[in-house]
Amino acid sequence: MLNYLINVTKSVAVAAIMIGLMHAFVPSVDGRRGLKILRIGCIAGVAAAVVMAVLKNTTKIIDNSGGAGMWNVRIFAVSTIALIVYYIFTYKVMKKDKGKLIFSIFAAILAGTLIWYALPEVLLYPANFSLNGASYFSTAFIYRLLGFVLGLVLTILIFLGAQAVGKRIRLETTALILNVILLINGFQQVTKGLQVLHAKRIVNGHLIFNLVRFTSNHSDLFIYLMMIAAVVIPVILWAKSMNVNEPYENSAEHRKIKAKWRGIRRWSTLLIVCFVVVTLNLTVFAAIANKVVELSPVEECEVREDALYIPFTQVEDGHLHRFAFTTPDDITVRFIVIKKPNSSSYGIGLDACDICGETGYYERNGQVVCNLCDVVMNINTIGFKGGCNPIVIDYSIENGYIVVPKYTLIDHQNEFK
Amino acid sequence: MKLRRTVALIAALGMVFSLAACGSKEDTAAKAEPEVKEEVKEEAEVETEQAAEPADAGFTEFPIFEDEEVGFMNVSAVYFQPVPMSNGNENIEDFNIHLECDVSALENDLGYGLGDWIPYLTVDYDVVGSDGALAAKGTFMVMSASDGPHYGANVKLDKADTYSVTFTFHNPEENGYLIHLDSETGPGGTFDKYFADGNLSVTYDGWDYTPQEW
Repeated sequence: MLNYLINVTKSVAVAAIMIGLMHAFVPSVDGRRGLKILRIGCIAGVAAAVVMAVLKNTTKIIDNSGGAGMWNVRIFAVSTIALIVYYIFTYKVMKKDKGKLIFSIFAAILAGTLIWYALPEVLLYPANFSLNGASYFSTAFIYRLLGFVLGLVLTILIFLGAQAVGKRIRLETTALILNVILLINGFQQVTKGLQVLHAKRIVNGHLIFNLVRFTSNHSDLFIYLMMIAAVVIPVILWAKSMNVNEPYENSAEHRKIKAKWRGIRRWSTLLIVCFVVVTLNLTVFAAIANKVVELSPVEECEVREDALYIPFTQVEDGHLHRFAFTTPDDITVRFIVIKKPNSSSYGIGLDACDICGETGYYERNGQVVCNLCDVVMNINTIGFKGGCNPIVIDYSIENGYIVVPKYTLIDHQNEFK
Repeated sequence: MKLRRTVALIAALGMVFSLAACGSKEDTAAKAEPEVKEEVKEEAEVETEQAAEPADAGFTEFPIFEDEEVGFMNVSAVYFQPVPMSNGNENIEDFNIHLECDVSALENDLGYGLGDWIPYLTVDYDVVGSDGALAAKGTFMVMSASDGPHYGANVKLDKADTYSVTFTFHNPEENGYLIHLDSETGPGGTFDKYFADGNLSVTYDGWDYTPQEW
């Protein structure tokens, strides 16, 4: 659940801030016409994102034309130029020059490209909900859906909050803060474009690599910077609301003013709370989502001269049991034993697989799950080679014991280095 | 007034279209870039004939290193988006890349045609970060993509860094691959010639990697 909440937030929260503020700023410059143009841009962005998501998921068209990365570069190119023109005309608009129409058009192109870039990935998340062996009615599926929906709700609230507070403050302040956020985002999208071009070896050089390495490894930093810039607006409004000096002629007007500022405080609080939730997503929730599951402790078993002896009685409860043997090279080699459901046979293998290494397996709701890739094992196929299954080891059954020879564990000690 | 607005609008749209074209140019540049990886594949296809051209294969590969000679093998490494694979390997959620090792035969006396894909290998991979810490490790699985068979694995590599990649090749005999020894039907050589001192390996330092948005 948390993974989808975090991923959705990371993908679209920042776009929601920018587009929310644009919905406040553009109409205050170019009136209803500006709002109309901006909305057309946003709808076009959503439509382009839907088309892209469908093409990406069902055809090879995106891949055949350079892959999603090159498409992002194209979107960034359009977006960056739209940003530059937008900046030029923002300045002119602020100087009360003519050019509002061009300003609105480029703001709309900018908003559209922001959506076009951010949304396709989010639209494709539901396609992954049922992967990993989860059925449509499983708790895993419902949790993923819940995380996804919560992420979208958070995004919509950020959009509404940014739009509401952006309208309530001086035009110049909204313009300044929006432009700072757009600049941070513009810088990040240029580096993301360079990242693709560098990976494709279209651009080269250490300077570029060091730049994209930094921006790639610190992508959350840009979200924080944009939130810090944006949070200035609700903070200013909150401060203003503490000391309202608007003149009124009667108590009805006074009540109206008070109600207005109550509304402003609510929107400001909502936006601040949303930013706190985004911050929690990127820090606390991300830490929880990435937390490595503690493996159950290794159990004791009888160690004789050449082999380890595990009595059936110890492992016949249908749960995962973990054992270990320390080789003469002082390497602890772990293996697992689980009784197969509706069968008298046992699944036995190393607590490691060819793909994910010695990460191990754990039991979750009666299923055996790989600790690294979260793949759910079919318990009946444990003991068979392939995929993320435990690495197969030799064993035999003797008088109510599972006998695992030491040599097979020593042979596989390299898996546990 | 109206005319000026129209002119401005046309100018603006013209700018956007020229940018879109700019994007196309970048794409053309991408295709024109001689990716040795593709050349290797084309060379291999002279022999195999069955694998699709990478362009037709419908996916874009990102090169890591090309054409390293390892014993009787020509080795190249590429990566691209994580891919779902059969037999319980459909989940790609937690992976960043699909790492692929392409192995084709050089001139040899082991019976492989020049450029043939070499089966029955066990290929281990190690990816080490610039701080010397192991970032990923494992054994490749054997699989077919639209451009033919290869050794590969989905790998979690979410940090941008300059990595060192090592591929270790085990003797195909470990997996039961045999060579005719008689002079009438045998190719003349044995694997011992190459694997007498143990496994073969190739290390490429300086893989400047950044995670991609697929």
